[in-house]
Amino acid sequence: MLFDNTDFDYEISFLKIPGSDFNKEIRDSKFLSPEEGFLRGNLMKDEYVPYKNLTYFKLTPQNEQETLLLKLMAYSFTINDLNLYLDLNPKDQQTYELFKKYVKEKNRLEEMYSEKYGPMTITETQGSNYNWIMDPWPWDNTGGSMYV
Amino acid sequence: MFKYVKHLNYPINIKKKDLKMAKYLLTQFGGANGELAASLRYFSQKFSMPDEKGKSLLNDIATEELGHCEMICTMVHQLTENATIEELKAAGLGSMYTEHGKGIYPSDSFGNPFTVTYFAVTGDVLADLSEDMAAEQKARATYENLINMTDDQDVIGILLFLRQREIVHFNRFKELYDYYKKKGY
Repeated sequence: MLFDNTDFDYEISFLKIPGSDFNKEIRDSKFLSPEEGFLRGNLMKDEYVPYKNLTYFKLTPQNEQETLLLKLMAYSFTINDLNLYLDLNPKDQQTYELFKKYVKEKNRLEEMYSEKYGPMTITETQGSNYNWIMDPWPWDNTGGSMYV
Repeated sequence: MFKYVKHLNYPINIKKKDLKMAKYLLTQFGGANGELAASLRYFSQKFSMPDEKGKSLLNDIATEELGHCEMICTMVHQLTENATIEELKAAGLGSMYTEHGKGIYPSDSFGNPFTVTYFAVTGDVLADLSEDMAAEQKARATYENLINMTDDQDVIGILLFLRQREIVHFNRFKELYDYYKKKGY
């Protein structure tokens, strides 16, 4: 359901890294957390412009696969938005360090996902069979990103 | 070179069939302010960008926009998948079905086929980037019109995400424009 952007609770964020200073890090940064940035479609704290009173959806994963896929999509989104920012600010070392941290986490999640549920890219070949062709494809309504 | 990643940019799971909305949405694939025009525009313009910043930014946004084409087509596909011919006719999609079946053909909401005349490539960095900024604003406005056309939250959530991307892209293009302007282009 749609919720107000003042409702966001970092403590229950599904991407919260336990025991880390993640929340403080995010508060001090010009970028949002991967989860909130992803849900908003905009990682930049000061660039978000909601339409009318509509903000964004809160997505609730129902099982392990959904949770993993949603995290993976959130990190992938975050990497993309930082990518665009870094194209124009390549000397921003602090942001590049953050970028590398998220890339590492995305790679870890992607490996975990493809081992359990099939490849995300053609070169992920952990399974014994050629399962790249396996349904669901992302546009299918019976699987893929339907889970979240 | 391009590599495919087997997930969407943002999750799409539309439960309710809505043929009229599918007809309207199609314009964000093959219409004047749509994602295909955006992707091809930046892809084509990247070759005359004068330095690393311009080359990388246009290339990277062009790539992202191709992912947005996939999202729009996914929405149209899911909104029409289980429609009967009678339902398609009633929703004004009879001609579309005659020409394309249930395939997703790049066209606007009137059925006009996609054309490259929707965008320009001038080889002039300021002219091209001004167009890119305008294109992002027009796409944002179209997303807002589309949001006003439905009350299905499954659809609205996705449109809000895509609308926000237009805002981000506009800001990046504007920064690049200002940077080149300052450099004396």
